[in-house]
Amino acid sequence: MVISNLEKYKNCFVEAFALADGAQAESLKYQSIQEWDSVGHMALMALLEDNFGILLDTDDIIDFASYEAGKEILRKYDVAM
Amino acid sequence: MLLHEKTAIITGTNRGIGLATLEAFAANGAKVYAHARRETPDFLALINDISRMYGIEIWPVCFDLTDYDAMKQKMKEIAASKRSIDILVNNAGAVADSSSFLMTSVEKMKAVFEVNFFAQMALSQYVARMMMRNKRAGMSIVNVASAAGIDGDPAQVEYSASKAALIGATKKLAIELNGYNIRVNAVAPGVTDTDMVSAMDEGLMRRTLEKTVMNRKAQTGEIAGAILFLASGLSSFMTGQVLRVDGGM
Repeated sequence: MVISNLEKYKNCFVEAFALADGAQAESLKYQSIQEWDSVGHMALMALLEDNFGILLDTDDIIDFASYEAGKEILRKYDVAM
Repeated sequence: MLLHEKTAIITGTNRGIGLATLEAFAANGAKVYAHARRETPDFLALINDISRMYGIEIWPVCFDLTDYDAMKQKMKEIAASKRSIDILVNNAGAVADSSSFLMTSVEKMKAVFEVNFFAQMALSQYVARMMMRNKRAGMSIVNVASAAGIDGDPAQVEYSASKAALIGATKKLAIELNGYNIRVNAVAPGVTDTDMVSAMDEGLMRRTLEKTVMNRKAQTGEIAGAILFLASGLSSFMTGQVLRVDGGM
């Protein structure tokens, strides 16, 4: 089964923050839940890098402030959703 | 074999302490990404010789540390290789022409800080993130500071201050990266027999050495030994420390 980039993206949030399902991820912002603290943030970045085979710039890691912002950032790395 | 099945990145391996560290790591079984500013035939021949001598893999990784785009590109290539990085040795450094504090421009200070501190931090960010993803035991970052970063002498203000900054970062990184099984320590060499030190004023050199118990320069292998110790499991309960290797200053 081929998983779309969007599903992979959501799954990273589910795994990083132990969410019940991907739908919960869509409204998330940095520090909007306890799990998305600075440690959780780096766990999320690691999952995204692993799953999409990219190496994020430090500035993009800092700017990755929400689920939606992250989609825009990943476009810079040719990850279309 | 203190570093069996470990993979390391060492900066500034074309001469001096970096070259001695490359040899020490190779002799102890580590595979190494050997950094140098330029990929010259001499450098490639050098690492090829060491690779054959010890029967381990050494990959050249060449870029100017102040060229952050080139650094990122090389780190992407290393990440894409899927080899787990266990050790980073931030060895490469720069020293400016000798001058007193009052005769040193801020631009000159910034140029030294760029190599000795900011580039090391940028590289450490990339490598620490690769290490975090590995989730392996016994990972280590070793920063090559200087006794001058503690004592303020014998070096110019920008060199001493940049190494002091590296020592401060060593302590903070040790705290922040501990949760990812990454230890962070520094060595602080005294006067060492390198090209960089050969440009030192003779009188200052003599006065500095006379202050030491052993009254001689360190050989590069003696500093590499301390780096090897901090990179290996022998120092598994050490983090955030600065190990002076200075002949007893």
